[in-house]
Amino acid sequence: MSVEINVLVVEDEPHIRRVLHSVLTTEGYRVYEAETGARGLIEASTRKPDLLIVDLGLPDMDGIEVVRSVRHWSEVPILILSARTEETEKIVALDEGADDYLTKPFGVGELLARVRALVRRRVRGGDGTPVVAFGDVQVDLVLRAVTRNGQPVHLTNLEYRLLAVLVAHLGKVMTHQHLMREVWGPGQAENSHYLRIYVSRLRQKLEPNPTEPEHLITESGVGYRFVA
Amino acid sequence: MTCGKAASAPFLSAYPKAIAACALTTALAMPLRHYLDLANIVMLFLLVTFLTALKLGRGPAVVSAVLGVALFDYIFVPPHLAFIPTDAQYVVMLVVMLAVALVTGQLTAGAREQAELACRREEQTRRLYQLARDLAGVLSRWDMQRALDDYLRHSGYRAMLYLLDAGGETTTPAAEPHLAEYIDATMRRGEPIEGEAAAPALFIPLKTPARISGVMVVTASGPATPPPMQERELFQVVASLAAITVERLHAADEVQASRDQVASERLRASILSALSHDLRTPLTALVGMTDSLALSDARPAVGPSPEALAAIRDQARSIGHMVTNLLDMARFYAGNVSLRKEWQLFDDVIGASLRQLHAAHPGHPVRTRLAPDLPLVEFDAVLMERVLGNLLENAVKYAPTESAIEVEAWLDGSHACLAVSDRGPGFPPLQIEQMFGLFERGNPESPRPGVGLGLAICRAIVEAHGGDIRAKNRAEGGARVTIRLPLGSPPAFEEEME
Repeated sequence: MSVEINVLVVEDEPHIRRVLHSVLTTEGYRVYEAETGARGLIEASTRKPDLLIVDLGLPDMDGIEVVRSVRHWSEVPILILSARTEETEKIVALDEGADDYLTKPFGVGELLARVRALVRRRVRGGDGTPVVAFGDVQVDLVLRAVTRNGQPVHLTNLEYRLLAVLVAHLGKVMTHQHLMREVWGPGQAENSHYLRIYVSRLRQKLEPNPTEPEHLITESGVGYRFVA
Repeated sequence: MTCGKAASAPFLSAYPKAIAACALTTALAMPLRHYLDLANIVMLFLLVTFLTALKLGRGPAVVSAVLGVALFDYIFVPPHLAFIPTDAQYVVMLVVMLAVALVTGQLTAGAREQAELACRREEQTRRLYQLARDLAGVLSRWDMQRALDDYLRHSGYRAMLYLLDAGGETTTPAAEPHLAEYIDATMRRGEPIEGEAAAPALFIPLKTPARISGVMVVTASGPATPPPMQERELFQVVASLAAITVERLHAADEVQASRDQVASERLRASILSALSHDLRTPLTALVGMTDSLALSDARPAVGPSPEALAAIRDQARSIGHMVTNLLDMARFYAGNVSLRKEWQLFDDVIGASLRQLHAAHPGHPVRTRLAPDLPLVEFDAVLMERVLGNLLENAVKYAPTESAIEVEAWLDGSHACLAVSDRGPGFPPLQIEQMFGLFERGNPESPRPGVGLGLAICRAIVEAHGGDIRAKNRAEGGARVTIRLPLGSPPAFEEEME
């Protein structure tokens, strides 16, 4: 890796911090550590990390607070670590701008996959090509055209808008609420069943096996994620 | 006129007083008879009758009227010291005097009685008001009985409260078994009952619109006679005040109980969440450390073999699984699981569960068969993913590696159904129902991991959704678990205009 990539880990448990440190260092990242939210915010502003890993249960402040504060001044990718009992906090953290989450206990394989995806997005930046390809599907964001195996696929207006939003946030977990807002507009939180039906239709049109989707992934109770 | 004094004058002493008043008037008028006209002396006697009626009541007023006329006739009307008047016009005078005296006396006595009654009523109301105020402040049943005792202190009556306890039984003291029968009868009928010779008392139910909370037993504290009927109305009012107080105490108890329950549930939830954190943290570290050792190129040459590392990792993972199951079950048993139900499709939860399955057991074949056009179903996606995850995990655990696990979804009348089937050995035929109990496993000594919590959690979750879960063995071999969720009425969906 030619460019040094900095990762800041905000986690109060020393053992988990040590695991994250050793795994990420082995993978060639430079790792900074903070054991409190306050320390984490200071480190985030001085080290300018390329990725933040934040535990939701910090001793001094909520992990959500850390996400919110960082989002005031930075678009750095944020991965949150949560225990299963923190479902709602997880959703709030994602709505506040966190990009992805891992539920404890998690494997190193999962962790590295998420980290790589987030860092890749960071390095490539937001100016991706106007054409996104996944599986046998190509989405031309300029022409608003979708083809599968070279054949045009007809999408309704809303289907296309939903796909475009998901594709634009490659790898990021998009909460139901966020997607509803982006595609159907504000004040539609009650109608999240529209979202489920439209995702299902997109899968029918674009996924090789709609019952076991590979690109339009369900995050149960949270939202959806697009994976290329 | 003041309240109370006249009313309490002893009945018998009133007549001598009336007679004395007439005698005194006669004595006073004697020296004046030469100066006063007879008509004016009549006025004096009428005045005495009026005052007697006012002060002493109806009977003495009659005595005063008759005696006054007699004395007047005998002493003042000529011929003196004789009853028969000489002149016929005196007869008219005497008759009119008697009539006026009687009428005045009766009217005045009537007015006096009205006033006295009003006085008594006022006093009664004042004391009832006092009782109501006392009862409003009581904090226990004991205080309530004391307030009643205070109220009845000088009335010559006693009122005992027999209240329903939490179990719905009246708390009748053992010493008074003869009352029990009447108390039960009163509770049943919901109307006041008058006890007979064995129990000379008035039994009044403590009735509120909601229920009958007990019985008030009124007894005379003196000779064993039941309270007179005219007091009955009053005691009914007292009983209804007591009933309201019992309800209030009952409601206060309930509020306190539910506050206690909320507090203890919060405590349980926080203990569970702390426990969850404390158990998961070392597991996360353990999984992470073995993972990082396995991945690391810098692994020392003399260290655990990759197989040993993988085994440690797998064991740690399965402990993680068990901890999750145990904590979920504890949460369900503690009763603080709130469902986050949303209208959604089965596809999502099936896709997500299969993704988890493939991550943990790559390559195990799965066949899905979803009926087309399945409707929206209302469920908690996270919990339903746990159900499906547990069922799939079970299927993988028992099914031969190369055999496909089948996942089906279909519509059955008013239910949406979901089934997971495998080609494993199936459930032990005699234990199919018990499989869903806590800690049940098909074969207790089976070498396969798991404490058997999985199916119990599935059942708890499915039943919390108003659905049911059933297991059976397939005719062609293998186990099949079916979940049924009620359909309900999904929200409206409008197709977009193109």
